[in-house]
Amino acid sequence: MEIYETPLPGIGVRYEFTSESGDHVGVVVRRDGKRDVALYDRQDPDSCKGTMELSAGDSSKLAELLGGTNITARLDSLKHMVEGLAIEWVTMPAAGGLTGQTIGDGHIRTATAASVVAIIRNDAGIPGPGPGFTLEAGDTVLVMGADEAVRKARTILIG
Amino acid sequence: MPFLGGAPLAVTPATPHHAAVVLIELGVIFLVLAGLGRLAARIGIPSVPLYLLAGLVMGDGGLFKVNAGEEFLSIGAQIGVVLLLLLLGLEYSPLDLKNGVKMTWRAGILDIFANTIPGFATGLLLGWSPEAAVLLGGVTYVSSSGIIARLLDDFDRYANRETPVILSLLVMEDIAMAIFLPIIAVILVGASIAQGAVAAGAAIGIVAIAFFISLRYSRQVSRVVHSHSRELLLLSVLGLAFLVAGLAEAAQVSAAVGAFLLGLTLSGQVADEMRSLLPPLRDVFGGIFFVFFGLTIDPRDLVPVLLPALALAIITAITKIGTGAWAAARAGIGPKGRWRTGLSLIARGEFSIVIAGLGVAAGAQSQLGPLSAAYVLMLALTGSVLMRFADRIPVPRIIAGKPKVKPVGAP
Repeated sequence: MEIYETPLPGIGVRYEFTSESGDHVGVVVRRDGKRDVALYDRQDPDSCKGTMELSAGDSSKLAELLGGTNITARLDSLKHMVEGLAIEWVTMPAAGGLTGQTIGDGHIRTATAASVVAIIRNDAGIPGPGPGFTLEAGDTVLVMGADEAVRKARTILIG
Repeated sequence: MPFLGGAPLAVTPATPHHAAVVLIELGVIFLVLAGLGRLAARIGIPSVPLYLLAGLVMGDGGLFKVNAGEEFLSIGAQIGVVLLLLLLGLEYSPLDLKNGVKMTWRAGILDIFANTIPGFATGLLLGWSPEAAVLLGGVTYVSSSGIIARLLDDFDRYANRETPVILSLLVMEDIAMAIFLPIIAVILVGASIAQGAVAAGAAIGIVAIAFFISLRYSRQVSRVVHSHSRELLLLSVLGLAFLVAGLAEAAQVSAAVGAFLLGLTLSGQVADEMRSLLPPLRDVFGGIFFVFFGLTIDPRDLVPVLLPALALAIITAITKIGTGAWAAARAGIGPKGRWRTGLSLIARGEFSIVIAGLGVAAGAQSQLGPLSAAYVLMLALTGSVLMRFADRIPVPRIIAGKPKVKPVGAP
C-alpha cells in the first residue's frame, strides 16, 4: 500500500491511500493533534463523501481498535513536555553487560543519574523495577533521563 | 495641581464620570459583538461583515454614537491588527511558506495581476490619486485567509484534494502582503518617486533580512521566549510582538508586517502554545478593529460608492474564480474541484480592511474607507455563501471544459 503525503500550509499534513477494496481514504493530521478521516467520493474524486473529526484521544482509541499501538506517540508527547528529555529502549544482550545481574549491580542511578523506569519481558510490562530486579537476556529496558546520562546508562546495560 | 490642567488631560479618564461612560460604552459594544457573533455562527456566515456593520451603525451618522470610548477603540484596533498578523505568521511554519511558493508560484503571480488590476483601474476611473488606487488594488487582491480557513473546516473540506491549492494560494498572498505593506507605508508618507524607490528598497531589504533571520534563528528565539507558565509566555510573546511591531512602524515597514514576521519566527512549542492561547485575544481585538473601521465611516458616504463597489465585487469575484480554477487545473484537479477552488477564494475580509485602514489613517482618499467597507461586506457574505453551496451550483462550461483551463476573468 502506498501512502501519499501532501502538506497543508497552516493546518498540518494530509495522507491518502487506496485500500485493497478500492476505497480512497484520506487522513488529515492537524498540528493540534486532531485527525480528520475522510472517504473520497468515487464520482468526484477530489471531494469527500464524508469525514469524521477525531480528537487526539479519539484517534488513539481508534488506532487501538484498528490494531495499532500508540506507546511511541505517548512517549513523544512526554518528550515534548520536558525539553531535553531522552527516552531509550535498550534490549539486553545474550551475554555481557548487566545481563544476569541486578539493576543495583550496575549503579546506573548513582553513576549516571538516568533512571530505569520499566522492563518489558515476554510482552509483559514491569513498571518501576527495584534495584534487586535481575535482568535477563532479551529484556527491553526503558531508560529515561538527560541525553548524556541515558547514553552512559546504555553502555552500562549492554556492556 | 497646576500641571494637570490643560486640554489634553481633560479627555483622559480622570473623572469618575468619564470612566463610567467609557466602560458603559465598551460594555454595550462588546455585548453587541457577542450577539452578532452568535447570530453569525447560527446562520453560518463569518462574523467580520457583521462587526463592520455594527461599527457603521454606531459611528458618525449612525443610529447612535459612540465617542467616549473612541480612544480605547483606536488603540484596541491597532492591537487587533498586530494580533491578526502575529497569529497568521504563527499559523505558518517557514517550511509551509517554502512548500506553498513551490507549489503555486505561477498561479500566485496570476492572482496578483488578475485581482489587483481591477481595483487599481477602478480607483483611477473614480479619479483617485495613484496611491489610493494602488491601495484599492490591494483591497481587491487579498482573499480572507481567516474566513476561508475557517469555512474549509466548517464544511469538512480539509481532506479535499483541492484544499492544498487553496491554502498555498493564500500563503502566497500573505507573503505578497508582507512585501506590499511596507511599500504602501512608504507611498503614503508622500515621498517623491526617487525617495520612494530608495525607501521601498530599504523596506524590502528589512523584510528580506527578517525573513532570513526567521528561517535561520527561529529555534533560538523560540527558546528564549519559552516558559512553562502560560502567563509568562503570553507576556513575553505579546511584549515582543508590540515591540517588534512598534519598531517596524517606526522604520516605516508597517507594524502589521513586523508582527507577521515575528509570528513566522516563533516555532515549535512556543508556536503550539500561542496558537491555543492567542485566538480568543485576537478575536476580541480583531472585533474591535472591524468595529473601529466601521465607526470611522459615515453610513451616508456608502450610498455614492455602492455601485462601483458592486461592479468591482462582481469583476473581482470572477477574476478570483478564474485564478482558482486555473491553479486547480494545473494541480490536476477535476472540474468540480476547480469550481470549488474558484468559489472558495472569493471571500475578502480582514486584510482588505487592514490595507484600507492604512489608507484611511493616512487620509489618502475619503472614498477609500466606504468603498472598501461596502466591497468587503458584499464579498465576505456572498463569498462564504458561494463556498458553502459550491457543489450545488452547476459548473460553468468554461471551467468544466478542457483540463487546461484558460483564466476565465483575466483580460
